[in-house]
Amino acid sequence: MAPTVLELCGIHKSFGALIATQDLSLKVSHGEIHALIGPNGAGKTTLIQQIYGALKPDSGQVLLNGKDVTGLSVPARVKAGIGRSFQISNVLMDFTVLENSIIAEQARLGQCFQFLRPAFSDKRLCNGGEAILDRVGLLDRANQPVRNLAHGERRMLELALALAASPSLLLLDEPLAGAGPDESQHMTAIIDALRGKVAILLIEHDMDAVFRLADRITVMVEGRIIATGTPKEISSNKEVKAAYLGDEN
Amino acid sequence: MAGFITFLFLARTGIRENKVLWLLIAAFALFPIFTHFANLPFWNDVAMRIMLLGIAAMGLNLVLGYGGMVSFGHAAFVGIGAYCVGISQFYGLTNGWLHILFSLGVCGSLGLMIGYLALRTSGIYFIMITLAFAQMLFFFFVSLEQFGGDDGMSIDRAEFAVIDLYEPLRLYFLIWAALAFISLGLMFIIRSRFGVTLRAIKSNESRIEAMGLEPLNFKIISYVISAVICGISGALFASWQEYVSPDIMHWTRSGELMIIIILGGLGTLAGPLLGAIVFLLLEEFLPLMLGEIAPTYAENWMILFGPLLIMVVLFGRGGLMGLTTQYLAREKSHKTEEG
Amino acid sequence: MTLTLFLEQLFNGLQAGVTLFLVAAGLTLILGIMDFVFLAHGAQVMIGAYAAAAITAATGNFYIGVALAIPVTFASGYFLEYLIIRHLYQRDHMDQVLATFGLILFFNEAIRIGFGPAALFSNLPPSLSGFVEILPDTPYPTFRLVVIAIGLICALAIHIFVSRTRIGAVVRAGANNPEMTAALGINIKILFRLIFATGACLAGVAGMMLGPLTAVQPGMGEPLLILSLVVIIIGGIGSVRGAFIAAIIVGLVDTLGRIFLPSLLRLFFEQATADGAGPALASMLVYILMAVVLIFRPTGLFPAKV
Repeated sequence: MAPTVLELCGIHKSFGALIATQDLSLKVSHGEIHALIGPNGAGKTTLIQQIYGALKPDSGQVLLNGKDVTGLSVPARVKAGIGRSFQISNVLMDFTVLENSIIAEQARLGQCFQFLRPAFSDKRLCNGGEAILDRVGLLDRANQPVRNLAHGERRMLELALALAASPSLLLLDEPLAGAGPDESQHMTAIIDALRGKVAILLIEHDMDAVFRLADRITVMVEGRIIATGTPKEISSNKEVKAAYLGDEN
Repeated sequence: MAGFITFLFLARTGIRENKVLWLLIAAFALFPIFTHFANLPFWNDVAMRIMLLGIAAMGLNLVLGYGGMVSFGHAAFVGIGAYCVGISQFYGLTNGWLHILFSLGVCGSLGLMIGYLALRTSGIYFIMITLAFAQMLFFFFVSLEQFGGDDGMSIDRAEFAVIDLYEPLRLYFLIWAALAFISLGLMFIIRSRFGVTLRAIKSNESRIEAMGLEPLNFKIISYVISAVICGISGALFASWQEYVSPDIMHWTRSGELMIIIILGGLGTLAGPLLGAIVFLLLEEFLPLMLGEIAPTYAENWMILFGPLLIMVVLFGRGGLMGLTTQYLAREKSHKTEEG
Repeated sequence: MTLTLFLEQLFNGLQAGVTLFLVAAGLTLILGIMDFVFLAHGAQVMIGAYAAAAITAATGNFYIGVALAIPVTFASGYFLEYLIIRHLYQRDHMDQVLATFGLILFFNEAIRIGFGPAALFSNLPPSLSGFVEILPDTPYPTFRLVVIAIGLICALAIHIFVSRTRIGAVVRAGANNPEMTAALGINIKILFRLIFATGACLAGVAGMMLGPLTAVQPGMGEPLLILSLVVIIIGGIGSVRGAFIAAIIVGLVDTLGRIFLPSLLRLFFEQATADGAGPALASMLVYILMAVVLIFRPTGLFPAKV
């Protein structure tokens, strides 16, 4: 059995009267792609935010590789091994593709507090940046300003930046949203290739992709988990059908 | 030795990438020759003021243009730098190097304190808080009767060991050296890994957090650096003006520094210096122009400057550096078409 | 003696507070909800004071002066929004700071050209220039009492208006989603313009009331602008209720601090130290208060609900 990378113990979060996450527990192990699905407003993104550290849970614990990170800030959790892509692609719009990856590379190396050595003209940083881009097949776009990129390419760049620091847990918030069929296929292939290398928690509305990619699926409704299991188990689960899949058919 | 050669190499590429800035600095070095032969000694004085304002605006530009922090209180650091000189002299300390060291220390620690408090907020809050802290320091000096209060205090030019600032042009070249040194330093910082991270924070703070970096640390450090640069400008200002009063840190002075940056070009190295030149030239020539049209109102040149500023904001994106870059780009494309 | 002095200063502080509130009330909506950095609000104070002083001088009647100055300030806010401000809503804060700074320069210089650089002094009509005994043997200027009364009436009117119309919510909705608000049948452009005009009008009233108490001169609104920014930071940006409470606090702290802090320090320090540090500390008091609020409540005492 692969080691557990992420463990949530009794996470609870409410906004006033609205309970966004209700006493929720979950495990994601190394190398698995774990999909989190549920209807809109089920609290998926709120949960991701609590794992990531942008929101603090009211009670409960977030364990990363067995270490309690509940009290840590976002940058500290990233350093502890969390990588993330956002629902709306989140890259450095005022820079070129290569510059984006160079900044990720210098952050990985912990060299951001150097005041004299230049960044963009440095050979080693450039090589590192190119390696980051190569992983997602963006190398031929290296010198393009990010503004000129197509939507799908930006998503790809964001994934590359999230992978730069070799995280042990990757949080992907709707990586296929808004992507065309080709882009979608490309992205799915890249995520598939990450299987076995890193723990992935994936939120996605594209059910075909979810069932193709996921090793396990967790279904969330109104802040609670109603089922966890393999795609097969989930697709035959009555409760899930009633609460979620039923709505779609 | 190898380090020094790398340094020279980096400096050379940096200077090549910032031609406008270094051309201006070279021009300031040669300017006294021109004023000597044209018999316009008064203009040396104007040039010194341009350089001093340019240094302060460069300091502000680090946080404003590169870091995206709209600080509305930087004149306070200029004022503190000047008062550090005045107060040291008041207590009998005459060594100019020590004055500058003192200014550096005080401005740096004040920058750290104000930065730490103000940078916890952002947007309109940050603007108002920096303004309010600057006002606090302003009123502090207004009410300090032993240092002249509202009327200010007169200051002797500082003593810099071998350099006697009362000799002609010594002060001019001291200010020029500070300008060149600070320009070089800022050029390195902005191209450095720190500077790149700072610009990235301006572009997208949450992506920087997602890379495991704490944006606040970078912002505070840049805030302190910029406060220190303004402090140096202030310390030299004291020697230039031989006088300091709270007026130097009035909130409209902070506004002027921002105007200088927007005129020259936000987030460019040469912008603040170029803006300082334009600002002081406007200050010299708008009254003359107005005097030609309506002699009684020559003093009221602000009536033209205010609307001019609004026009620049509404229509003049990128300031003068923006125009220069566009012009150079067009020249280049012409040349490639011909070639 | 001390009680008399204290009471007198208490009223002065209250008067300063309500005046500040009149300036801050409109500004907190403009800054907090419309998210617009408007520095020229101080110029509206000056315009109000000059309009009242000029009309009073021309007609010889203070009441006519004030009555006619109110529509003048309203119009100035209305047209300023129409001519300049509305082009700046979509710009970043830096642009807004600089453009409204340009407006300040323009207005101050225009007043200097129109009325000269020297301060104007306006005399109060006899009916307002007397004293009222607020306690036996404690006379207090009638006009200052009137200022307090007008300030409180305005505050009450604003409070009723804001809570009845939920204008804060509407403006916030309009700033976030103009189309949506337009669909509700509210013309958001006109609404923004009216807020500017009303804010200008309130600031103008503050100027009219300050005129007879202090000097009417170019740039007179700027100290008030900066103090009202402090008020807004303390009260919580975008909150009218917070602005009122913070304005009263700032008015009282500033007034009482200047009078009593030096003598208070004398109890603990030597005379020389106290006399030196007292005024310096007193003039910084409201800013220190602001810093303390920021440390413990970064969003102010009464943050507007989002």
